Amino acid sequence: MKKLDDMFPHFNFLKLILVVTVIAIALQLSGAWVTMLIAGALGALLARRHRTAFFAGFIGVAIAWSAIFVYLSLTAQTMAIAEFFIGLLGLSGLGWLVIVISVILGALLGGFGGLLGRSVVELVDELIPPETSSEAAPVQEEQSESEPEA
Amino acid sequence: MKRKILNLGLSLVGPIALVVMLTMPIGPLSGGLGIIAPTGGIFDVGYPEPALQTINLPGLDANVEVFFDEWGIPHIYADAVTDAYMALGYLHAKERLFQMVMQNYLAAGRICEIVGSYAVSSDKYYRAIGLARGAEETYQWYLKNRNTNEDVAYVLDILDAEVAGVNAFIDSMTSSTTPIEFKILGFTPQHWRPVDVFIWTKMMSWSLASGADDLYREYARTTMANDTMYNDLFPDLMPYNVPIMPEQHNLSLAEYPNSAGGFPADPTPPPTANLASLSEDLIPADKLKTLLSIIDDVILPVELREAMGSNSWAVSGSLSETGSSILANDPHLPLQAPSLWYEAHIVAPGIDVMGVSFPGTPGFVLGHGDHIAWGMTSAAYDVMDFFVEQVNPDNDSQYWYNGAWRAFEVVDETIHTKDAGDIAFDVKCSVHGPCIDSVMGTYNLDSTQTPNIAMNWTGLDITHELLALSLLNKAKNIEDYYDALYWWDSPPHNFIYADDEGHIAITAAGRYPLRTGYLGDLPIQALNDSVGMLSNIPYAYIPRSVDPAQGYLQSANQRSYDPETYGWDVIGPYATGYRGRRINYLLNTSSSVSMDDMKRWQADSVDVSAQWIVPYVIDAWNAAGDGNATVQLAVDWLSDWDFSMETDIQAPTLWRFLVDALKYEIFDELRVTLDANLRTPSTPVLERVIRENENYYLDDHSTGDVETRDEILARALFRALDEMILKLGSNMTDWYYGNFHVTYFNHLASLTVIGGGPHRGWNTLNRAVSSWDDESGQWRVTHGPSWRMVIDMGDIEHAVGVYTGGQSGNMFSQHWDDIFDLWYAYDEETEQYGYHLMRFYPTLTLIGDADLSEHFVERMITFVP
Repeated sequence: MKKLDDMFPHFNFLKLILVVTVIAIALQLSGAWVTMLIAGALGALLARRHRTAFFAGFIGVAIAWSAIFVYLSLTAQTMAIAEFFIGLLGLSGLGWLVIVISVILGALLGGFGGLLGRSVVELVDELIPPETSSEAAPVQEEQSESEPEA
Repeated sequence: MKRKILNLGLSLVGPIALVVMLTMPIGPLSGGLGIIAPTGGIFDVGYPEPALQTINLPGLDANVEVFFDEWGIPHIYADAVTDAYMALGYLHAKERLFQMVMQNYLAAGRICEIVGSYAVSSDKYYRAIGLARGAEETYQWYLKNRNTNEDVAYVLDILDAEVAGVNAFIDSMTSSTTPIEFKILGFTPQHWRPVDVFIWTKMMSWSLASGADDLYREYARTTMANDTMYNDLFPDLMPYNVPIMPEQHNLSLAEYPNSAGGFPADPTPPPTANLASLSEDLIPADKLKTLLSIIDDVILPVELREAMGSNSWAVSGSLSETGSSILANDPHLPLQAPSLWYEAHIVAPGIDVMGVSFPGTPGFVLGHGDHIAWGMTSAAYDVMDFFVEQVNPDNDSQYWYNGAWRAFEVVDETIHTKDAGDIAFDVKCSVHGPCIDSVMGTYNLDSTQTPNIAMNWTGLDITHELLALSLLNKAKNIEDYYDALYWWDSPPHNFIYADDEGHIAITAAGRYPLRTGYLGDLPIQALNDSVGMLSNIPYAYIPRSVDPAQGYLQSANQRSYDPETYGWDVIGPYATGYRGRRINYLLNTSSSVSMDDMKRWQADSVDVSAQWIVPYVIDAWNAAGDGNATVQLAVDWLSDWDFSMETDIQAPTLWRFLVDALKYEIFDELRVTLDANLRTPSTPVLERVIRENENYYLDDHSTGDVETRDEILARALFRALDEMILKLGSNMTDWYYGNFHVTYFNHLASLTVIGGGPHRGWNTLNRAVSSWDDESGQWRVTHGPSWRMVIDMGDIEHAVGVYTGGQSGNMFSQHWDDIFDLWYAYDEETEQYGYHLMRFYPTLTLIGDADLSEHFVERMITFVP
């Protein structure tokens, strides 16, 4: 049986961010923020290091949510709602801060999803016995890290 | 391997922490911080409505077409009445679901389920009253009579349709249609039930026809211990009152032998009880005081204790400019966001009605049909009594009645809370009703004082307001109006009426209990069934006037009848009568009344009490003043004043302080020798004492001298100015009324406000109930004309209306407060507030044709089965 890292290609960082962004936008349309963990975790399948997985998830979801907010600002009452929300906390004129906080929270979800995903991949791969030489995977270009870096 | 497992464990820390953080309640954000995600949270509610929509509404018989005009008011065209009401129910929920839920949970004593246990005193209060129990009983009456009364069956049909419409919306809710408040509070609404409709009607009854006046009077009477003074200062009949009914019009007793609502009636008034014979110490003073504080403390969103006010008037064709009857109505209710009202127009076979409805409730409360128009003001008579039960000293679960100890019924009213589990709460009930002092444990009163003050309120019985309204909504003529109001038993209201046949009428509709063995204005002990509300005035004989010779009718919550000419004594906490006096004067001195006149009068801010009292104050200063320059400046303001409570002058500000100062200086009997917590006598009593120069009350008994009226009035000027400097600052030129009298009203969950700033009026036709807010240093207007409507029955297509808010309960909708802006905008030139046209097209074709030229249709919905 092939290891997960052998089954999924290794994307470079920019490609990885792009993939996470696309997945994050698609999943966020369901309205469930928790799916950003999944977006990050799916991205981790295409990374080989914890640090890469975390930052790809973080940046990918941040871009995805920022893009959605830009769209919403143009088509709905996003800024007014943000102003209202910050008003509940006794602040005014800081609606943009709600959006910034939201994007950071989403990015953290993506990042932690990536981290978790990478750890799961590595654990699963550890549990899968090595293949015979004829079925061995090609040598990886990048050495897998043994510890989370983020 | 171990390291990989450790890595996984460490990697789980971040996601778990984040999920917890995004879901855990943070202060008022019970829904957690996750709601600020770009979709699926609060941002979804900001989308604009589509111009054309087709919505599936299971249960419809046929398609229903809905046109929304420029104010978001739906015009609903259906082939069946039930279809129309199902569409209305859907729209009520779509625009106002949060409001419906909040209001009903509050009324049912379930608000702790939404906001948490901090509101437990409110829930105990409403559980003790038992609005939900009364609602259930009323609903069961309708079910029992469905098969034998076609009008009852009709009510249940439209009620079921309304409820089905509401639930269709709840079932179809998406993130973008879920009210933002539910997201913030983390609350999921349950299905609407038929009994919920009755709970809200009971709540409105409670708000409009309840009150602890009997207890306040008891406190005043026992504290004063002087029945003569008590009667002088707290009379049931306000001096100078102009009654509503210029001529009594009875109906046929043979045709209507029962009282309103079908209750037993007695055409012979019972003998009047003697005040002096009533015991004064039924309720210990400390218990009474605590009970009153509870009533003052607990949330009562629509209460009118000090806010009594609504106006209506109508002129017949003989007095109108157009030759047709014209009707105006502006009910004064709490100014809240969203408004109590939702405006709509329904066209279906047998019904063509437009007006304002309560969200979640079928039927139109105020408005017009294709032949008639009606409006309402509170009739304000007393339909609530308190019976002090004699508790068995050896067993406090029993009370004495009809010669034996009888067990209190104990109702389990366990309160469920959002955050603290269940809170046990029992309500004791006697034969007279629930013991409202069951709530006193909340206030840590001596627990050995067992509840024994039973509330007997007609509104808690089976009531028929929905039946009355459903018939009125279909009425075509004055006979239909009589038939409809036969069922209006609670809350007592003056229904003003005009039709296209030229009739005008007013009925102080409601069930008038006849009290035997007591007066009804004080708590009483009734040890047997010979004392109590033993019968009622026949509907045929209740106060009513039809087509009076004077050509007009008016009502402003004052006593409806002249005690000299009406056969029954109907007590009540009536309004002071100043608005009635003002509108009576305006109508009585006009010969050709137009719609514009009616609109100007609805904006009229002349204070009649000032008109009568201020000249005495000016004269007093001229006669007895000491030449003080500050006081002279204030008196100059009063001298130049036309008595209109305008925002750009200082005199109205002074007048408000002066009224308090006059009461303080004149009613020293209450201030010095008695209890500072006593209510002060009402302003008409003050006016009477001044006008009639009643020396006993004008004299300050705390001094050794005998003061004259002039000396006391001059002293009041000093007191008023001292208080103003203290509260408003010493810069007198800034004391413009508009700087201190403002309107801002709160969202139901205090999430935002609707406001307009400086506000005209006070105890004037343009009613503005306001109280001093120490924090802002301003009077905040809390009650006022919640709906203004003017209708010329000869030109019903040009009827106008306006209310305090907007159609949408979504604060990010363009229709959140657009109608408020109209309501608030006062035009100095026309002397009118803004109104919108109540577009009234009886067919789909006509509304379509009108839109082709006027382009007022903003969007459309087709509901399909």
